Amino acid sequence: MELERKDWIRALTAHPAPDLHALAERLAAGCELRLTRLPQAGLGLLQLADGAFHEAYYLGEFPLSTCSLELTLADGRRAEGGAQVMADDAALARTLAILDAVLAARLPGWEDVSAQVQAGARLRAEADRRRRAMLAATRVDFALLGNTGEDDDEA
Amino acid sequence: MSYVAIKGGGRAIAGAAAVTEYLRTEEGLGNPDAEPLEIDAILHQLRHLVDRVVSEGGVYHPQFAALAVKQSLGDTLEAAFALRAWRSTRPRLSATPPLDTSRMRLIRRISSAFKEIPGGQMLGPTPDYALRLLRLELMDESPEAFRAVARDWLENCREAQLPDSYPKVLDALRAEGLLPPVAKTRRQTAFDITREPLVFPVPRSAALATMARAETGSLLAIAYSNMRGYGDVHPTVAELRVGYLPVLLPHPVTGELAEAGEVLMTECEVVAMYAAAEPGGKPQFTVGYGACFGHNEVKAISMAILDRALQKGMQDGPANPSEDPEFVLLHVDGVDSMGFASHYKMPHYVTFQSDLDRLRTTQQKSGEPA
Repeated sequence: MELERKDWIRALTAHPAPDLHALAERLAAGCELRLTRLPQAGLGLLQLADGAFHEAYYLGEFPLSTCSLELTLADGRRAEGGAQVMADDAALARTLAILDAVLAARLPGWEDVSAQVQAGARLRAEADRRRRAMLAATRVDFALLGNTGEDDDEA
Repeated sequence: MSYVAIKGGGRAIAGAAAVTEYLRTEEGLGNPDAEPLEIDAILHQLRHLVDRVVSEGGVYHPQFAALAVKQSLGDTLEAAFALRAWRSTRPRLSATPPLDTSRMRLIRRISSAFKEIPGGQMLGPTPDYALRLLRLELMDESPEAFRAVARDWLENCREAQLPDSYPKVLDALRAEGLLPPVAKTRRQTAFDITREPLVFPVPRSAALATMARAETGSLLAIAYSNMRGYGDVHPTVAELRVGYLPVLLPHPVTGELAEAGEVLMTECEVVAMYAAAEPGGKPQFTVGYGACFGHNEVKAISMAILDRALQKGMQDGPANPSEDPEFVLLHVDGVDSMGFASHYKMPHYVTFQSDLDRLRTTQQKSGEPA
C-alpha cells in the first residue's frame, strides 16, 4: 500500500521521535542541507466550520512545529522537503522534513523511510481499529416501547 | 479605588510554594511504595480532567494539560491558567482552513431526535446508562487486574467494518427544508478572541470561540437557567459526536492539505423551537451548535443551548440573561473569573482603610455612636 505524501506525517509520528531522528540523521549525513524555513515551534489555530450554519470559527489552538528544507546530493540531485506537525518540537519538524524530502525524491535510503511509513500506517490502523471496535461494541437500535419482545439483538 | 504596592513576605511566599509541594509529596513520607503521578497515568486515567484543562486552557496539548493538573494538585482553574500562560509564550505559526467535522474519527455518536439515523447510533464510552454507585472494588485494584481489563476487552471485541465518516443528522433535516439555509449566514473571517477584545456587538464566531474555551460549570449554570425557565430554547439533541478530528494544514512543498495531527473533540447540534426567519416566511426549526476540545458532553450541550439563546437575543433583544451576549460571554471564562475572585485575597489595606475612614465619618455625621 503506497501512502500519499499528505499522509506521511501521521504514519511517521506513530514511531518514537528518537527512532525518526536517528534515521533522518543517517540519511542526511551525505547531503548538503539548506533550511528554507527555519525549524520553529509555536501554535496553530484550529478553525472549524460550525455544524449549524457552516460558519467559520476558532475552536482553539494546538502546538505546531514547522520546517522546510532542501537536500542536495554530491551528484547534484536536489529534493525539497517540509513538515508541519502537531508537536511542540522543532527538531521533530526538521527530522520529518528530511524524511519527506528523501522519500518524495527517492533519494538513497528512501526504502527505509518508506518502510517506516508503512509500519507507522499499520500502527495507526490498529488504533483506528480499536476506535471502530468501541463503536461496533456499542451500536444501539432503540425500539419504541412495546414494539419488540427482545431487549437486545445479537445479530 | 486604588491599589497599593506592598513589599515584604518574600520568604513566606517561597515557603507557601514549598508547603504546597510538601503536600503533593507527603504520601512518600516513610512509604517506600509511594510514587509520583506519572503524566501518562493522568492522561489516561484522569482523561476527563485533562479534557477540561485542554478545553478551558484553549490549547490542545494533553501532555502539558496533564502536567498542569499534576502541579496544581488537580485544580482545573489553576491548571487552565498555567496552560494559557504557556501558550502566551508561543508564536502563532499558522491557522487551519475551516475544517469539516464530518471527517471526525468517531468513538461515540448519538441522537435524541431520531432513533434511526444514517450510519446508526453508537453509545461509545459513556456513563449515561450506568448506575451511579461507588465501585468499591477499585479501592484496592491490583496492577494485574488493572492490566487485564483492557486486554480482555480487546481480545473479545469483534472486527468491525464501519465507515470512516458519518453524515450529519442536520444535513438530512436541512435537505427537507426544515432548517434555515447555511448560505445566508456564511462568514468568511472568523473572530480571533486571543487577538481582539470583545467589543459588542460581536459576530457569532466570537461567541462560539469564547464559549469553546469557557469554564464548564459557568457555561452549564447559565445554560441551566435557560432550561429551567429563564429562556425557551427547549432543545432536542439532533446529534452528539465524540471523536478525533484530523488537523489539516497545507504541505509546505506541495500545498496540498496534509494531516499534521488530530484532536479529540466533542460536538453537539441541537434543534430548537421553530420560528419564521422573517415575517410571513416559512417556519423552520432553529438550531444551536456547541463544540469543545476533549470529551466533555455537558459543555458541548450547554454551549449549543447558549448559541441558540444568543442568536435569539441578538435578533430580538435579550429577554433573559442567557440571551444577552454581554452577560454570557463576559462571565464564562474560567481564568478571567477565577482571577477576579482570587484578587480579593490580595492586600487591599489602603482601600479598606479608606472604607473605614468613610464609615466612621458617616457614622459621626449621622449622630450614631462610634
